[in-house]
Amino acid sequence: MASRPTVSVQSVSGEASTSLPLPAVLTAPIRLDVVAQVHKSIAKNRRQAYAVSEKAGHQTSAESWGTGRAVARIPRVGGGGTHRSGQAAFGNMCRGGRMFAPTKTWRKWHVKVNQNQRRFATVSALAASALPSLVLARGHRIEQIAEVPLVVGNGAESFKKTKEAITLLKALNAYTDVTKVSNSRKLRAGKGKMRNRRYRQRRGPLIVFNEDNGIVKAFRNLPGVELVNVQRLNLLQLAPGGHLGRFIIWTEGAFTLLDEVFGTFDKVSSYKKDYLLPTAKISNPDVTRLINSSEIQAVVRPAGPKVQKRPWTQKKNPLVNKGVLFRMNPYAKTLRRQELLKQERVKEQKEKKGKKAKGSSAGEAFLNTLFAP
Amino acid sequence: MSTDLQWLLIRVRSIALKYNSFLVKKVPEGPTFSREPGNLLNLHSHKYSGLANAKTIDIQNSESGLQITTKKSKASSHAVRPARTTSAVRNRSGGRRSLGVVASLAKKGYRPDLRAAALGRTSALLATQKEKKASPPKKVRGKKAAASTA
Repeated sequence: MASRPTVSVQSVSGEASTSLPLPAVLTAPIRLDVVAQVHKSIAKNRRQAYAVSEKAGHQTSAESWGTGRAVARIPRVGGGGTHRSGQAAFGNMCRGGRMFAPTKTWRKWHVKVNQNQRRFATVSALAASALPSLVLARGHRIEQIAEVPLVVGNGAESFKKTKEAITLLKALNAYTDVTKVSNSRKLRAGKGKMRNRRYRQRRGPLIVFNEDNGIVKAFRNLPGVELVNVQRLNLLQLAPGGHLGRFIIWTEGAFTLLDEVFGTFDKVSSYKKDYLLPTAKISNPDVTRLINSSEIQAVVRPAGPKVQKRPWTQKKNPLVNKGVLFRMNPYAKTLRRQELLKQERVKEQKEKKGKKAKGSSAGEAFLNTLFAP
Repeated sequence: MSTDLQWLLIRVRSIALKYNSFLVKKVPEGPTFSREPGNLLNLHSHKYSGLANAKTIDIQNSESGLQITTKKSKASSHAVRPARTTSAVRNRSGGRRSLGVVASLAKKGYRPDLRAAALGRTSALLATQKEKKASPPKKVRGKKAAASTA
């Protein structure tokens, strides 16, 4: 590594002013499988219990009629005077019966995830948010912004007005991501509409701050924009849907605090007890570079000559192509020639015989009667 | 972060784990396409990927002519907009000049492996710029012809 990479801090008016060293978290290993799995489990922790009524399907006094009545032995509703009497009850196959294995509120709704796994996933998601290609692949409109990670000066934390927030995002060329969100707003399909989830829309930028001096109220009304404190970073926001590469806008204070919140590869975090960042299994994942390195090139055998399967011509079938056949089996030529000669001889013989016995063997009188009109 | 690793993170093709918003899989068993900018063949592959390569060539039609965008090879891996540089070939310069400009990239050693694809895309874009010839007037035949002359 030549020098520690730096990230420039964009001033509130949108120009790059100072620069900061890249925090170690943003170079942590990225494991999309870990992120997806941890997200899947964590996402379950906000579920509410539901179940069918305990009494459903059992609010009748039905009893089986037993055998001998030429009907199934399922419990049947007693009495008379209504259509319900005599109808089967209770079973999951019955109309008005209970469901099979009725759902219970004591289902296991939440999933425990080990703390180190949760931290690994968070760190992975953060590292992924520092790669332009992954952020673009997630669908964020960041083509025009200067840099990823995008850091703005601390002045943004004391914004009070949404108007200021919009000017900042426009100056950073990040407002297109908000526009994308507001264009994407669609009516939700299904019952969710009546359950306070009326609209569905994309996710916009996540704004990470250190101190809320009004920044939350300034930004929160922008569609798709979410805000979070650096010390409360959450995988559900960093990798929505378990997909890596959320577009994150950092304030300078939040960005400088990252090394303290997550620690580095050799310095323990000051907020998470004894936490060191996970190290990558290989230090250099650049495969091309590895292959072309002098160490590897020194020990590999030299490349052999290129082997072409059909160097000059297409393969010919010797059963069809005579030239190839004779090359493979020179006797075939003699065989063929003898065969031809034999055929000619036979033909000659036949012709000789034919000359002798000219015409039909039947007499003229017979033929005349045969073909008589 | 190396582009090899980035490609592994982007390439995931299963529908359940779709990490790439540019993927287009319309035909089952068919080719996987990509909508990303900088992909000369619009094919989802490492070689042609516009995201997971340090050097890419992007050729687009624009108002002012053919626009050729390349990634700067010395740019930081975190830069987005400043990492790209754009040049344009004027509208009135024809095919020979446009193709020459595109081929010069490969000649200078900038992604020589993409030469054929870049030239192909260029000529395809030039073909779309051409105005369509008006179809010749329909000849009237048979009864209608007789009726029109009479």
